[in-house]
Amino acid sequence: MPEPIIKLEDVWKTYLLGKVELHALKGINLDINPGSFVTIMGPSGSGKSTLLNIVGVLDSPTKGRILLEGIDIATLSEDDLSQLRGKTIGFIFQEFNLLPNLSALENVMLPMVFQETPLEKRIARAKEILTAVDLGNRIYHQPTELSGGERQRVAIARAFANDPKVVIADEPTGNLDSSTGKKIMEILTEFHRRKGKTIIVVTHDPNIASYSQELVYIKDGQIVSNHQQAKKVLWQR
Amino acid sequence: MGSNFMDNLKEYFHIAWRNLKTRSLRSWLTIFGIVIGVFLIISLLSLSEGIKATITKQLRALGGEMVFVMPGDISNPIAMFMSGAKLEREDIDAIKNTKGVETVLTMSYQAAVVRYGDEGKAVFLQAMSWKESIEILENFQGWSLKEGRWPVSGKREIIIGKQIENDLFDKPVRVNSEVTIKGRKLTVVGILNSLGSKQDDTAIYLDLSIYQDITGEKKGTAQMVMVKIKEGGDVNGVAEDIKENLQKTRKRRSGTDAEDFSVITSEKMGDIAGSILAVIQLAIFAFASIAIIVGGIGITNTMFTSVRERTKEIGIMKAIGAKNSAVLMIFLFEAGIIGLAGGIGGTVLGAFVAKAIELYGQAHPLFYFSASVTPNLIIFGLVFSFLVGCLSGLFPARRASRLKPVEALRRYE
Repeated sequence: MPEPIIKLEDVWKTYLLGKVELHALKGINLDINPGSFVTIMGPSGSGKSTLLNIVGVLDSPTKGRILLEGIDIATLSEDDLSQLRGKTIGFIFQEFNLLPNLSALENVMLPMVFQETPLEKRIARAKEILTAVDLGNRIYHQPTELSGGERQRVAIARAFANDPKVVIADEPTGNLDSSTGKKIMEILTEFHRRKGKTIIVVTHDPNIASYSQELVYIKDGQIVSNHQQAKKVLWQR
Repeated sequence: MGSNFMDNLKEYFHIAWRNLKTRSLRSWLTIFGIVIGVFLIISLLSLSEGIKATITKQLRALGGEMVFVMPGDISNPIAMFMSGAKLEREDIDAIKNTKGVETVLTMSYQAAVVRYGDEGKAVFLQAMSWKESIEILENFQGWSLKEGRWPVSGKREIIIGKQIENDLFDKPVRVNSEVTIKGRKLTVVGILNSLGSKQDDTAIYLDLSIYQDITGEKKGTAQMVMVKIKEGGDVNGVAEDIKENLQKTRKRRSGTDAEDFSVITSEKMGDIAGSILAVIQLAIFAFASIAIIVGGIGITNTMFTSVRERTKEIGIMKAIGAKNSAVLMIFLFEAGIIGLAGGIGGTVLGAFVAKAIELYGQAHPLFYFSASVTPNLIIFGLVFSFLVGCLSGLFPARRASRLKPVEALRRYE
């Protein structure tokens, strides 16, 4: 068994709403293994977004430990964590979250800017990856000039720009029609299969979950089931 | 690493530039606030710098070895020039008898209405003891005649500054023209070449005794005395001696030792003018700075708004690996560009207006101004406004850089 790329040990996340303590996560233990394709599912309010933020080291837990490639993130400074996150993890969001003032190419180059990749290499890599998502002829367009599916493909290209080991997608098809969504999932699956990337997808859509090999079902802040063979589980339903 | 760092700065600058372009109206309004402040600084400073340069030039033209004696107290110049106090004949004799004094020029001046044809204009009359003055004026101060000749002492003859010839009256004044001052007719016998300042070029010059005939000023007195000391003499020493002699004379005459006169060297005169101008410049700078501060607050305000509007973008940038310093730089650049753009606008406008005032002054006699738009002033204007921009953007940028990624992303969702 290889060492997990992201490891959550007894992770709690508690929000204070006025005087009421709200436990969004209650003692989560989760291993994300290299090369896996994991779907996190759960009803709204189950804590899956919180879990995603924790897994993506965008947020720190109230209690518990998170190991990113074996490093306890609590030991890192804010800047070091940003740097490590930018290098190791790519993000794809439901509402694309491209920077509206930058072109597709510049959006894809941005994660490499933050990793201080030299300019020529940045441009070459961004063009290469945009071509891979079939946007080679739209690289100078602003996000507003692109369709929803195209924007999400730019976002995918951005997520893979630094060649991260893990890509986390939060409802990546939530704002897209089903055929466009299907194409997006195919692209993600392609990256997973061909490049061996670890993919984590949060969704409530069983069709999306069917692309993955591993299903984590979360309810009331706890993992209620963790299946290695998602397809079979979903099929059985 | 180093080149990558510069490369990154360029990239952040680029992002900042793009952000500014997308909110252009607000950017322009903020820039306009800075333009006003920088405009004030540049135009006022260049004008006061120009005045300073003119005065310095004029004082230098007087030569280093001159001593001026004036009634009244130089530390209160307005009272001194307005009081009409005179140096009496005894005072002037005391100066003449001081050791080391070569020539004593007595002078008086006042503004009077000069009639020529149907017109009457107020002109500055400057009277000098002509016999002694002419040599010094020609040899040491570079006076020369464009046409005509110097007046003969004791005759009712005048010479006129260059600008009086064509600009003052509708009908040009020529050699042998006659003008009327206080009911007396005087003949123009010469026209001077430019003396280098508007004030001097729009004056009428005449012999002191004639002036005293016209104005009724007591013969033998003067409003001011210029002393040329002997070659190789010690200016400050002679000035001290003159002071002492004057004190003695006055004590004998009135029984008091009230020191109601000023003896200053041309060098000291420059210092006094310089310090007065420095105070004026400081005041100008202070007022203009207030305008800049107000502009800076405008930048801070617009940047805070920008940070709030773009909280989510900040979250995205942090999620994809931006360090705090990267976010800080982007927002600082934005504020700096606003400041710099305002600085460029203000500098151009300020230089333009200062030059326009100068041109207006040249076209209209009796109104003299020069503008000194130096490269230093321009560089100062630009650097200063960029720094004001950065400084104003510092707090908003810091707030932006310290946002937690997850909180920033969640905002406005």
